[in-house]
Amino acid sequence: MDYFRFTFQAATVALLLGGFWTVAALHAAKESPTTIGISPQKVADYIHAILEADRTFYTSHIVNRLQEKGIVASTEQWEQDNTLPLPAQFLQHSGRLVAESGSGIRYRLIGFSPIYQRNAPATEFERKALDVLKRQPDRPVTGIVSSGKKQYFQAIYSDRAVSSACITCHNSHPLSPKQDFKLNDVMGGIAIIIPLE
Amino acid sequence: MTTTPTSSLSGTRWGLKTKVILSMLLVGIIPLVVGLGMAFWQGSQEIREISGESFKALATEAARKLDLLVVEEISHTARIAHDPTIIRELERRRDASSDPKRSISALADLEQRWTERDPAALKSLTGNTLSALLHEYYAGVYSPPGQLLPQVVRASTKMLFLTDAQGALVATMTDHPAFRHQDTRWWQGAFNKAVGQLYIEDIRFDDQVNTYVFTISLPIMDSLRYETVGVLHHVIDAKEFFSPSTHAIRFGKTGHVMLIDTNGIVISCPILPTGVPLSDRNLTPLVTPQHPGWVEASSDGHGGQSTSVIGFAPLLETSRATNGSIDSGSWHTFVWQSSDELFAPIQHLLTWVMVFGAVAIVLLASLGYVAAGRIVTPVRQLQQAAQAIGRGELQTPIQINTGDELEDLAREFTRMNTQLKAAFAGLTDQVKLKTQEFQVLQQSTDQILDAVPTPIVLIDSHQIVRYINQTAREAFSVRETSSDTSLFSILSLDPGVQKQLQTEFQMNGGTSATMPDIERETAPRDPLQPRTDHEPAGHRSELPIGSRIYHYQWFRLPTKPGEEDSIGLVLRDITDESRLQDQLVQAEKTGSLGVLTAGIGHELNNPLFGIIGLGEILQDEQDLEHIKSYARDIVAHGRRMATIIRDFTGVTDREASDKPVSVPVEEVLDKALATAQATVDMNDVVIHKTYAGHTPVLVLPDQLRQAFVNLLTNAIHAMKGTGALTLTTVVSDHMVTTTIADSGPGISKQHLSKVFDPFFTTKEQGEGSGLGLTVARRIIRKFGGDIRIECVEDRGAACHVTLPINTSTPPLGDTWTTSASRSKPQPSHSS
Repeated sequence: MDYFRFTFQAATVALLLGGFWTVAALHAAKESPTTIGISPQKVADYIHAILEADRTFYTSHIVNRLQEKGIVASTEQWEQDNTLPLPAQFLQHSGRLVAESGSGIRYRLIGFSPIYQRNAPATEFERKALDVLKRQPDRPVTGIVSSGKKQYFQAIYSDRAVSSACITCHNSHPLSPKQDFKLNDVMGGIAIIIPLE
Repeated sequence: MTTTPTSSLSGTRWGLKTKVILSMLLVGIIPLVVGLGMAFWQGSQEIREISGESFKALATEAARKLDLLVVEEISHTARIAHDPTIIRELERRRDASSDPKRSISALADLEQRWTERDPAALKSLTGNTLSALLHEYYAGVYSPPGQLLPQVVRASTKMLFLTDAQGALVATMTDHPAFRHQDTRWWQGAFNKAVGQLYIEDIRFDDQVNTYVFTISLPIMDSLRYETVGVLHHVIDAKEFFSPSTHAIRFGKTGHVMLIDTNGIVISCPILPTGVPLSDRNLTPLVTPQHPGWVEASSDGHGGQSTSVIGFAPLLETSRATNGSIDSGSWHTFVWQSSDELFAPIQHLLTWVMVFGAVAIVLLASLGYVAAGRIVTPVRQLQQAAQAIGRGELQTPIQINTGDELEDLAREFTRMNTQLKAAFAGLTDQVKLKTQEFQVLQQSTDQILDAVPTPIVLIDSHQIVRYINQTAREAFSVRETSSDTSLFSILSLDPGVQKQLQTEFQMNGGTSATMPDIERETAPRDPLQPRTDHEPAGHRSELPIGSRIYHYQWFRLPTKPGEEDSIGLVLRDITDESRLQDQLVQAEKTGSLGVLTAGIGHELNNPLFGIIGLGEILQDEQDLEHIKSYARDIVAHGRRMATIIRDFTGVTDREASDKPVSVPVEEVLDKALATAQATVDMNDVVIHKTYAGHTPVLVLPDQLRQAFVNLLTNAIHAMKGTGALTLTTVVSDHMVTTTIADSGPGISKQHLSKVFDPFFTTKEQGEGSGLGLTVARRIIRKFGGDIRIECVEDRGAACHVTLPINTSTPPLGDTWTTSASRSKPQPSHSS
């Protein structure tokens, strides 16, 4: 199982680093006085595309296949049970790794009905964005947010129940406040923050 | 019956009663002990299992409860960390620190003064707005209604303070904390590269508050939850915090719950003080896996070395954040109860069962005694009855009324006794009858023996006379036979004869007793044969007693088994018979002499008359030629007479030497044949020779040849000159047998026994002297051999000459050749 864990981590890091190298390169290009800048919106779009692709690939080609073959399941207590992390945990934990890497960009999953309260919207902007995404899930909600004197570009993309694993867990978890999710429902959003400095 | 065999044998073997009691005891005790042992083992096992499972459940439950307690405390602390005022202030500080205009020296100055406990500095940190806010949170001002902080939790808080993103102290409830914390593990763990993470520091001794504490460090995120702007640090007295939860759980006298960390350090325990490690280091890995369970360990962790059942469970939620991650440390509950107490029920049970077992054994022994008595008493009665039957004393029926097989057995005994009595009564009558018959038989035997006119004496193996018949009594003048009269005191014998008789008796004379060889004694003896082989008188079965001679014979008399056989001696008075025999022999000898005289006379008469006649003629004869002729005739007649006389004496030719020499018997036979051929007409005789080779014999060759010539001549005469003569030599067992067989008419049976007698001849008077075979036998016997004649009437006779082979000396052909060359062939006139 350690093998899977290692594979998973290695794959995540590799993919994300690859993604962030692109972003950093773009940044560098923007900061260069001679190059044409790239909008944070675009950067957030790229990152979102990578995140979605990574998670989809992980869900369909790693978790689902291993589960179907009965080799290893994915559970919430994956560290303890020596299993695979859930797709949502995959994204959250990779977000943590990204944050700890110190590149500045951060992303996380938020929602109105989170299993853990720490994943509830933290700011008014996030709350409003989730509201908007409920109605218009196809376009991200973006804006400039600030903490003290620091300014950040934040983009929030709707996040759907892409696999049965999502709704099974949310509908059965004792801490889940909402237990009637259906496949392809908008369950919340992916919030991406890019510092504007 | 005064003593029973069981009592007399009790010293060496166990009686039936003891055996029955012991059997009952064993039958009772063995299952009891086995059952007790198994019950104890099974009981212990089950108590262990049940206790283990209970302890595991209790540990799990306690772990969950403690987990919740910690989580609740974390959530209480987290409420402070989410306070917007604090976040705003810390954001401001963050922005200020990144401002290049900010004075670093001011911060250093504040640190200096805080370390020196400057009242103004203390006040600026403990009395600022944020500190006031911390006080308010601590006092429960911001708690939801009805969720006031429990007093114990509040009292256990030893320090509560805030640091900014650089680790510098921002606000504190007490003046204990240091000013800078960015190098501490808890601060770095909680700050976590500005990402922020819950960090629970493991138990440690804090010098500032002088107690064992654990800490909860929470990152304070900015308003966007983008990055960590500060850390809230909550120092909690471990014992005070956990003891209300752990100490409350007690069961029995020693059973309790304790909380330990992954290193086996006690966080909270009703018995052990906080901060000490478990007494047995080896126990720690057994009880700190990441799953609940129970274990049977060789020590209890509290200093005891007895085998203990220990339940354990991890605090999952708390452990996840302990020292930053579950891998760096975890907390576990530990449920234990003293083994003595744990296994007390089963030991009580064992004690009680042993008491009951002892009572049962006593009962069994008593019952066994009674039962054994009931079984053994009739058996002893039966035994005594059997002994009485054995002695023939049992008169009354055996009285046993047990109603079981023993009663049946007693009945059978009684019946058997009755039948035995009846059988014995019949037997006694039969014995009487047989005794009478025996007495009659004995009397009649005695009378018969007394009537026999032959003395008969019966003696035992010690030569003591057991019976002596009437004739013997009269013959030996025995009046009364006492019980120890010896045989030889009755018979008055010469010492030599007595010794001979004793020797025969010791050789079990009965078996060696021989009838005298009447045939041999009555046969006429060869008067010419010297009596060299004559038997000594003692060997004859004759006893001279007094003036009379008795022929005696031993016979063996079988007696009762176990006793030595009696030996009987039958004596026959042969005084008259012996005298008669001697007279007969004498007469026969005289007769033989007559025959001899007649033969010699007849043989000698013819030439004698010739000589006399020639002599008378000579007296008147004048012619010299005639006188010479008559004289030659007289010489011829004289020689004839000399030859006859030589034949009679058996000495044909004196040997030059009397010393026997070794010669091959076949050569002697061939020379004899040549001699015979010269004297007898045997042109029509076919000769077959079958020789064994050159078989050396030690003989006087001329004498042996003479013997062979006699035999050959006889054979040729028997065939009347026509037939087949077969000569054979056969070697067997140091002896050589020479066979001369003819095809003549053979010898009639009546003559066969007499052929060796001197002067016995079947030929006409003057043809044979009747001495040929006699002489031949003498010669052969002289050389250690023998001669015998086998004859089947009308098929010829075979004469077998047996001689010992000379094995000692080499063939001495030359010697014999010399001897033979000297000897002249002699004419033979054998019978």
